Amino acid sequence: MNEIAEFVALVLPAMVPFVLAAQGTVLSGRAGVFNVSQEGLMVLGAAVGFLVSYSVGSNAVGVFVAAAVAGLFGLILGVMTTNWRLDQFIVGLALYFAALGLASLLYRVAVGTTLEPPLIPTLESYPIPLLSKIPYLGEMFFDHDLLVYTAFVLSGLLFWFMYRTNAGLRFRACGENPRSADSLGVNVARTRIVASVLGAALVGVAGAYLPMVYTGTFTEGMVAGRGWLVIALAFLGGWRPQYILAGAAFFAGMEVLALRAQVAGVGIPHQFVLMLPYVATLVVMMFAFRWARQPRFLGQNYDRESRLAG
Amino acid sequence: MSVQTTEPTPSPAPVPAEKKANGLLWMAGSYVFSVLAAFVVGAIIIVALGYDPVRAIESILTTSFSTSFGMVETLHKWVPIVLCAYAFAIPLATGKFNIGAEGQLLVGATGGVAMGILLSDLPLLLLLPMVLIAGVLAGAVWAGIAAVLMVKFGVNEILSTVLLNFVSFQLIDYVASHVWPDAGAGHPATVPVGDGARLPGIGGPPPIHLGVVLTLVVCVAVWLWVRRTPSGFEMRAVGANPRASLVHGLRTSRLAGLGIVVGGGIGGLAGAIEVAGVHGKMLEGMQSNFLILGIIVGLMARGSMAAIPVVAFGIAVLEVGASSMQRTAQVPVELVLIVQALILLFLLLSDVVRRRFERRVR
Amino acid sequence: MSQSAPRLAMRGIVKEFGPVRALDHAELEVAPREIHGLLGGNGAGKTTLMNVLYGLYRADAGSIAIDGTEVSIASPKDAIDAGVGMVHQSFLQIDSYTVTENIVLGTKLPGPAWRLDLSDPREQVAELSSRFGLHVDPDAIVEDLPVGVRQRVEILKALYRGVGTLILDEPTTNLTPGEVDELFGSMRTMVDEGLSVILITHKIRETMAACDRMTVMRDGQRIATVRREETDAEALAGIMVGRDLDDGVPEAAVIATGVVEDVEDVAEVVESAEPLRPDPVDSGAVRVEGLRVRNDHGVEAVRGLSLSMGRGEILGVAGVAGNGQVEFAEAIAGVRQPETGHVWIRGTDLVGRPTREWLAAKVAYVPEDRDGDGVLPTMTVAENLVLGSQRSSDIRRAGLIDWKEARQKAAEAIATYSIRANGPNALAGDLSGGNIQRVILARAFAHEPSLLILHNPTRGLDLRSTQFVYEQVHAATAAGCSVLLLSEDLDELVALSDRLVTIYNGEFVGEWARGAVDQVAVGQSMAGVGVER
Repeated sequence: MNEIAEFVALVLPAMVPFVLAAQGTVLSGRAGVFNVSQEGLMVLGAAVGFLVSYSVGSNAVGVFVAAAVAGLFGLILGVMTTNWRLDQFIVGLALYFAALGLASLLYRVAVGTTLEPPLIPTLESYPIPLLSKIPYLGEMFFDHDLLVYTAFVLSGLLFWFMYRTNAGLRFRACGENPRSADSLGVNVARTRIVASVLGAALVGVAGAYLPMVYTGTFTEGMVAGRGWLVIALAFLGGWRPQYILAGAAFFAGMEVLALRAQVAGVGIPHQFVLMLPYVATLVVMMFAFRWARQPRFLGQNYDRESRLAG
Repeated sequence: MSVQTTEPTPSPAPVPAEKKANGLLWMAGSYVFSVLAAFVVGAIIIVALGYDPVRAIESILTTSFSTSFGMVETLHKWVPIVLCAYAFAIPLATGKFNIGAEGQLLVGATGGVAMGILLSDLPLLLLLPMVLIAGVLAGAVWAGIAAVLMVKFGVNEILSTVLLNFVSFQLIDYVASHVWPDAGAGHPATVPVGDGARLPGIGGPPPIHLGVVLTLVVCVAVWLWVRRTPSGFEMRAVGANPRASLVHGLRTSRLAGLGIVVGGGIGGLAGAIEVAGVHGKMLEGMQSNFLILGIIVGLMARGSMAAIPVVAFGIAVLEVGASSMQRTAQVPVELVLIVQALILLFLLLSDVVRRRFERRVR
Repeated sequence: MSQSAPRLAMRGIVKEFGPVRALDHAELEVAPREIHGLLGGNGAGKTTLMNVLYGLYRADAGSIAIDGTEVSIASPKDAIDAGVGMVHQSFLQIDSYTVTENIVLGTKLPGPAWRLDLSDPREQVAELSSRFGLHVDPDAIVEDLPVGVRQRVEILKALYRGVGTLILDEPTTNLTPGEVDELFGSMRTMVDEGLSVILITHKIRETMAACDRMTVMRDGQRIATVRREETDAEALAGIMVGRDLDDGVPEAAVIATGVVEDVEDVAEVVESAEPLRPDPVDSGAVRVEGLRVRNDHGVEAVRGLSLSMGRGEILGVAGVAGNGQVEFAEAIAGVRQPETGHVWIRGTDLVGRPTREWLAAKVAYVPEDRDGDGVLPTMTVAENLVLGSQRSSDIRRAGLIDWKEARQKAAEAIATYSIRANGPNALAGDLSGGNIQRVILARAFAHEPSLLILHNPTRGLDLRSTQFVYEQVHAATAAGCSVLLLSEDLDELVALSDRLVTIYNGEFVGEWARGAVDQVAVGQSMAGVGVER
């Protein structure tokens, strides 16, 4: 029992980058903008979040600036694809490269090459009064840092917004059939751009969380493919916020297991343990990809003036 | 668009020559504009960071041409960039995105290094072809996993190719630290391959390895295949409209899978050439940033297989110039990646400008 | 023009798409409480004009006034605010939403912003639906609904927003005759309640049956506006094609406009226009037995079809869209694998073979969805014409495709088929719909087919192109080709077919010989009347 509680308590923070980035992907995807620059935005978010926290001395400020910078990339993606109708994948890839370059450049310029990397304090945990006192459950769920709670509350809000409000009805219409939404007076371009900005900002926060939760340092490889796993997660979750949580728990669980197996030494070379999350994702996709629903116009730009067919 | 009941006359082709010339002018103009604009933005960043932009840009642009060492280094960089660009662009002809060139390169290198170590006593004429072929096959098989996942299970190829990269990192780490480890290297690397597995050099000093010539042959072969053979035509047809291709008897998913496998094979060849021509062994990190550069080149070439070697040369010049810029002007090399991404973005924007312009003029 | 303030007045509207001037100072005036027909051939600019009115296209010049006040319509939202509603040919619906969700989408709803409450709107939808005779289930998911019902959802969308002017774009295309009558009844109710309705169509018979006045367009301009009482079908047809019928309107014009109601007349026109085809006595050129085919959703769409066709015979298949035609056509073109059954082409059963072998057996397929299934838009005309024969020895030298040869052949096809293109290197995507269809036909006929499958070959084509398609079909049958013609245009079927069958729910339910076709019976048969289920 104690071990399970300990495991869950480790999985929850490990879920945060997956949840935040995947919900960001879902947010822009449901409006029709398929952002493939996630990996780059997470690295950029991590670098910016780290550098700002380090120089200002506040993790909160670091998180906000990371969100803003990633949001700016989302704005570029949104404008280039909705207003100028450039291919979403190609623009996304270009932004991915730009974000990678910018992240390394900023870190290099600010820190230089030192043998002793700078450190920032990791996030403190805020036990929730009363709830955290419940045996086992309190340790598992109610004794974490603020971003853990935020990630879960945000997922709930996103679900409510999409499926339980009139605005959500309009929002999803932009990804399902933008021509229909447009013909009924929904501002498709604005919706898509806003979704792209907010979605990218969430991805940036997910990146910023990484240096703040484990080591307190930034390395270029620290995102380690999470940005791509998150896109897989969005597909596997059928682009629905409620299923993203389950998927994120799976990914985070794999990550924690791999880490523990590596530490404990399970008799197989650690390289094969570290492969596990990626291989498992490939295997899951094999079975889940065909039936998973996705927005009808995901990744497709909408041009009102293109001549109507028929 | 007139609707009359009179017999239509086939419209006389209104000076296609002029239109073609216009198109070429536009294309050349958009490349010049994009490169210039990206360098202007790059210079602004350099100034903002407090470095000397003139010196930085000068060393970026001239290093390749000022010494024969620079030129050879550029050509050696050009090889994996071109091959990784094909690994990306060939599947793209069928509308599929292969983001897995670095995995394919690493696994190809593994295949090559396995031959080079296991059969290290064989003579060059036997061993070298085996190394290269093993690299091609290993890369093709690795990409084949993604192709099968896509064709049989409908798995998005962007995700599968990317995730296989991360698997390959662990795989070569395992090979370099458990299978053929070089204990003295201090960095995960294999023991060196036999002499028969090394690509001979030509000219010099410094000599150029034969992989450069081999890559030129690959360029011609790819161009011929895509433009002139039935299967190359079929691949392009699938990219243009998969449904129509299916209706007209093409096996579309097989062709799309084939594109990824061939792309993977060429990525694997890049790995084998890096082993046989540059490193003489396999080591962690040898994939460098060739994946990204390959994608950038593939996108900049805009679907033209003939343009890829040319664009790749330009990118190789920037890459070689970047490291010298870091030495002479202290500007971090990462700046060049930003400049390259900007060239791509500006190139995309020039399409928008052209579209608007043509709408207005007509 | 006695009304002081028309419901709608569009003046001097210009709209250009690149080099094409789709609207050239077009005019339209619609009175309150009238059904106004907007008539014209394909490319006349009817739909473009209405898309300008609905804010989907931005006009380059011109003005729009509603109830006497000038309005500026830059987006559909402006149009909705000005009381204009439009039902498009292809429905603009969110497939995964319910009927009510689709209808309320984009409107303000009662209740707080943070809580979606659809109970009131649902009541309203139900009320509107019964008031106007547009029966739908407000809670159904639209992708599960048949075409006729989805169209009602589109109309309800407009009514829910309280429109004053409702535009219907070719609304009868996919309806059974009975559904058309119901629709026209609902339109009358709307006009009685104070609305104005604009009916876009190219069918003269429809406007004569439903409209109070009609405006005829051609080449992006208004040619005439007439009252129904003051005109007749022949006069309208004359205005539409731009000359008097006495000058000898081509077969296609007569058929497509539906002027000729009498079967014998059509037969006469055809026979006088064309040399007689050889008798289809040589039966058994194509034989299909017990064909069962599933659609993309795994539902059996073709349920045991059998037929036999002779050389040079044209077999017409009439039916309302979605009764298995696509699956049937694809199955006997070798594109879709049937569950069971046989297809013999000149003696060989090809079921289970790959599509290539069907092509080699000279089966040519002209699909209904020419943009989706027919053309490679980013490739040249020459490359499009090569598609399907890229492995044939005609155009290969030493294993490689000889593009010089291919371009030469393309240039010949461009001349023969009067394709309007800037030579063999023109991109197919830059051609107009009619010219794309000519490219597809040129490709199909280049194979000298023994079986030609045509699915709605003239839909959306102007009269001249339609005429051209008919000539090519006749030429092919003269060469012994069997033609399977699937069409939703009954007049076309009657005019061309040697034999006519009706398809309903994946089965053949009626058969008529040439000259013995009873259009009323065919219509009932298409609608499934009298079919035991």
